[in-house]
Amino acid sequence: MANDTQEGKILILATESCAYPGANSVGQAHSSYPTNTYILRVRAPVLFPEHFYMDCFRKGISGIIVMSCGEECPYEGAYHAFAKRIDNVFQLMKKEDLDLRRLRLTAICTVCNRPFLKEVNDMNNLIKELGPPILKGEEAATDTP
Amino acid sequence: MSETKKDESGEEARVGVYICHCGGNISDHVDVEKVAEAVKDIPGVVVSHTDMFMCSDPGQELIQEDINKGNINRVVVASCAPSLHETTFRGAISRANMNPYLYEHANIREQDSWVHHGDPATAKAITLVAAAISKARGLKPLEPIRVDAASHTTVIGGGIAGLRAAVDLARNGIKVALVEKSPFLGGNASQLDRVFPTGEKVADLIEYLTSAVAKDPNITVYTCAELTGFEGYIGNFKVTIKRKAPEDEATQLMLKQVKGAAPGSFHPFVGFYPGDVPAADEEETLTTGVIVFATGFELYEPRQGEFGYGENREVITLRQFIRAMADAPATTETLTIDGRPVRRIAMIHCVGSRQIPGIHEADENDYMNEYCSRTCCTATLQAALEVRDNYPGTQILDYYRDIRTYGHNQEEYYSRASEKNVLFFRYEPEDSPVITKTTGEYPLKVTVVDKLTFNEEVEAGVDLVVLATGMKAKNIDSLVEMMKLPVGADKFLQEVHPKLRPVEMANGGILLAGTCQAPMDINESCNAAQAAAAKAAALLGKGFVELDPFVALVDPDRCEGNGDCIAECPENAISMTPDNKAEVNPALCTGCGMCVAVCSVNGIDVQGWGLKEYENMVDAIVKF
Amino acid sequence: MKVKRDLQFDAIVIGGGIAGLQSALDLGDQGYKVAVVDKDATIGGKMIRLSKVFPTLDCASCITTPKMSSAAHHENITLFTYCTLGALDREKPDQVVAQLRQEPRYVDPEKCIGCRKCEYGCPVYVEDDEQGGFNMRKAIYIPFSNAIPQLPVLDVENCSLCGKCAKVCPTDAIRYDMEPEDFTITAKTAVLATGFELSPMEQKPQYGLAKLQNVVSSMQMERLLAPHGPYNRVLRPSDGKEPDSIAYVQCAGSRDESLGIPYCSRVCCMYAIKQAMLLSGALPLADITIYYMDIRAFGKGYEQFYQNAKAMGIEFVKAKVAKITQGDNQTARLRYEDQEGNGGVMEREHDLVILSLGMVPQWDPAGICSVNCGQDGFIQSILPKIAPTVTNIDGVYTAGVAAGPKDIVDTITEAGAAAMEAANYIKGLT
Repeated sequence: MANDTQEGKILILATESCAYPGANSVGQAHSSYPTNTYILRVRAPVLFPEHFYMDCFRKGISGIIVMSCGEECPYEGAYHAFAKRIDNVFQLMKKEDLDLRRLRLTAICTVCNRPFLKEVNDMNNLIKELGPPILKGEEAATDTP
Repeated sequence: MSETKKDESGEEARVGVYICHCGGNISDHVDVEKVAEAVKDIPGVVVSHTDMFMCSDPGQELIQEDINKGNINRVVVASCAPSLHETTFRGAISRANMNPYLYEHANIREQDSWVHHGDPATAKAITLVAAAISKARGLKPLEPIRVDAASHTTVIGGGIAGLRAAVDLARNGIKVALVEKSPFLGGNASQLDRVFPTGEKVADLIEYLTSAVAKDPNITVYTCAELTGFEGYIGNFKVTIKRKAPEDEATQLMLKQVKGAAPGSFHPFVGFYPGDVPAADEEETLTTGVIVFATGFELYEPRQGEFGYGENREVITLRQFIRAMADAPATTETLTIDGRPVRRIAMIHCVGSRQIPGIHEADENDYMNEYCSRTCCTATLQAALEVRDNYPGTQILDYYRDIRTYGHNQEEYYSRASEKNVLFFRYEPEDSPVITKTTGEYPLKVTVVDKLTFNEEVEAGVDLVVLATGMKAKNIDSLVEMMKLPVGADKFLQEVHPKLRPVEMANGGILLAGTCQAPMDINESCNAAQAAAAKAAALLGKGFVELDPFVALVDPDRCEGNGDCIAECPENAISMTPDNKAEVNPALCTGCGMCVAVCSVNGIDVQGWGLKEYENMVDAIVKF
Repeated sequence: MKVKRDLQFDAIVIGGGIAGLQSALDLGDQGYKVAVVDKDATIGGKMIRLSKVFPTLDCASCITTPKMSSAAHHENITLFTYCTLGALDREKPDQVVAQLRQEPRYVDPEKCIGCRKCEYGCPVYVEDDEQGGFNMRKAIYIPFSNAIPQLPVLDVENCSLCGKCAKVCPTDAIRYDMEPEDFTITAKTAVLATGFELSPMEQKPQYGLAKLQNVVSSMQMERLLAPHGPYNRVLRPSDGKEPDSIAYVQCAGSRDESLGIPYCSRVCCMYAIKQAMLLSGALPLADITIYYMDIRAFGKGYEQFYQNAKAMGIEFVKAKVAKITQGDNQTARLRYEDQEGNGGVMEREHDLVILSLGMVPQWDPAGICSVNCGQDGFIQSILPKIAPTVTNIDGVYTAGVAAGPKDIVDTITEAGAAAMEAANYIKGLT
């Protein structure tokens, strides 16, 4: 039932006003991309606290791409707060010896087909190269997939 | 993962899953029967169906039947993109008397069958549906938030834009408090004579509006008034209006000019005088649903010595020139001003507009006007033509950077000016015209490097220099601070988005009309004012404002009252209750979720889009 | 001809471009029932066809799509696409009557699910005007990916009647025997938001009558720059070469008595600057030159946008281009009088030349509606300063470029103003 777990899973947080319709536009163009990508529609990614990202890695998600509206964010101050949060997550990832490239922040618009495909393919190549995420704190007790 | 979830009614979540073939669009690549089979045993799922077209009436009836039979209380549809049919399915659920927010959509067409093929596409569909199920189980019924809205607006500013907005709102049946700082209505427009491109008297335009204001019982005019208090939110603001006797010298002088005149009359270069100047301070607090800003602009005042201004009485602004022309005899061979014949006039464009860092001088606050003031080119040519038409013995020299006669019927002013022998010189900002005193035939000399004649330096003696000064944002700092209004780098009030929401500020229920937003001419100001009035009418027409239910909600059992969310909220939507729990004002919350991330005890979440639901979805994605 | 229907609304909006949509939304939000009529197969007008928009450089699609979809999903708004207007006039104080014809799509809108199988199956290729004629579409097609409604149109001119589309359609929605259907809409008030066309490229002999290689219109350039454009990058149409030198000829269809278009079209300076900025991103090594008479960057943030373009190295040459001819190696040769520098007649060759075309009215009301137009053909306001949307017909308003050239910001604002007038007209009836 499950996917080929060897290649790992990529979580994509896509904003409902920009990146999520952008992903649909890729679908309308019938452009193929790796299947191990799971797109969650979000209002603004600023909702997610630092631990959400770390929990995802802990649960076994190999890569996360946050596709936001960038500076066109409809919520006041949210984009900057979010950029700061991602910096914090990078700090936590460093502590856990996680490759920082596993978390990627990018702006995708409603018709950004090519940038979307590039981001997804880049991340897929990366997690293939890196393998599953192993957090330093858990290394000793790693008996889960 | 498998603990029983209950909704507020205490009922266990019973999910119905409906998977669409989309006539092959999905089922050609995704084995939909296999998906239905795979998800039917996920905890909470009670039915799992497929249908050729879920969006068709029979497809929708399938869902409604299961609801009516009492089988299900959550719905997951797996089909095309939610932007196409989310509202369709929410509607179908509503019609079966179930809360439409107990619904989740899985996008297995645009984000699966159209981009993936074969077994991996089917596997992904299973995962996406499983994730949707895990979210659906945690959903709670939501109701749109209703806020009572007063059928009342406060319009700040009694210039053309404010008058226009007030008249339209009143005609719509909405009460208006029109608040004007000075004793006069008409604003900056009162300082004009005739308007381009129609040549109408500005007095007629202002009186058209003021007579409508006077006649309409829905409008209360507060002159000599300012907003001194403000609180509340869209639909239900409380504003305090304070009237006091005018004290500043300029206003006293203008009042002197209208002394003895009947109230309700227009006075050229002063304004429309409704009468009624308060002798003592008065204060009133009103409940108002929407506030319209129509505070207008200020004219740029040239610096001492800028193009000789302030140093030579022969250097004046365009506004002063319009005033002087109005007092001059209607037609003579040569224009005379203050008894002096004016044989030749230099008109200089872009004074205090289009300033460039490094070339122009910044003001004492290190600020300069980098924008175009939009109206001065045509206004300058209009004045130039009036001179050429009425005083053929007076020559015009026009010094410009670009002639921006962009508006409807305005290009004619440019072509007619050439026909009427207005002489044009084009300058670059780094080679601006230089004005010097002379003792020769003319009192002043203008020197410029003319780009139209291959950078030749051209000198000309003139009797008068007219500076086409631009528009500046008016200083309304006290209002900006009191109401926390967004201001752009150009110091004008800032709209949410120039195309998506051009007459709204980020503060809900506070609208923009006219030149407080950016330079505009009179018809553009009127359009903006009417657009703002339309927005206000839409907001207030129903008697209540309905807001998205996707707002933050505090879980009082978890909240420890540390106030982190309050500090994070950009909308000031969260406050502390007396028993030290955070509380969200849903009327102010935009549902951005900034508070959710900073709460260390998960005590606040966005309804319908909660962190908890996302965590559940990630669990499902990892598991399936 | 099918049975006539007579539909009742509070307001009818002619034109489903950004002006019409904004008027409809502002009326619908006030609780009025609105019919939006568009002759096109999709709403969205000119704006949805643009690449990005000045001065924010937002993608045009991202700004237009939300308005299109809120109109489409609005409980008070009904869309009538692919409908032509035969007549519109006021008959009573509370009645404007519009005679309309639903042109046949040859697709049953009730059955179609927008899956595009017909389009993929169709074997006929036709030059796609939606993509500036640079690539092909099918003879049955949905105009573009975010069209609303997502309904295909069968192009009878080019259809070979092979039957393939009917065969692959999963819902049996293809109707080769569909006929036009006439109907009327009666409303209390109307907004005319009929928009514009680009000024014709074929009319100026000095600019090659649209026959020169690699001389394209500004709208074609919008498509070349669009994220879902014909080549997915900017190429010279004649040979697919990446252009090294690109020029804009400003006022190519405005401020020109010889074309009968003496007025300024208001947007061409800004869209040329915008395109130049996008080009310098797409082709960092290309030289970009804008030949202009006056740069009219008058709106909020526009002057700063212009100054940024200058700082980016885009060259601005003050000159009216006198003549364009074919140069060597498929270049276009511009001849102009140099007003700066040393003067005299100059010639320069560019790989790709864009004519910054102006705006002319899309709709001629003659014989259809008694609304007054000015000499320039745009609908005239009777109160141009104080109520710019009011026309000579009671309770009939105009908005956007129908009333004269305007940029998107000014159009949207004016559309709101027209909605206010229309709403108050309805209020005044009771």
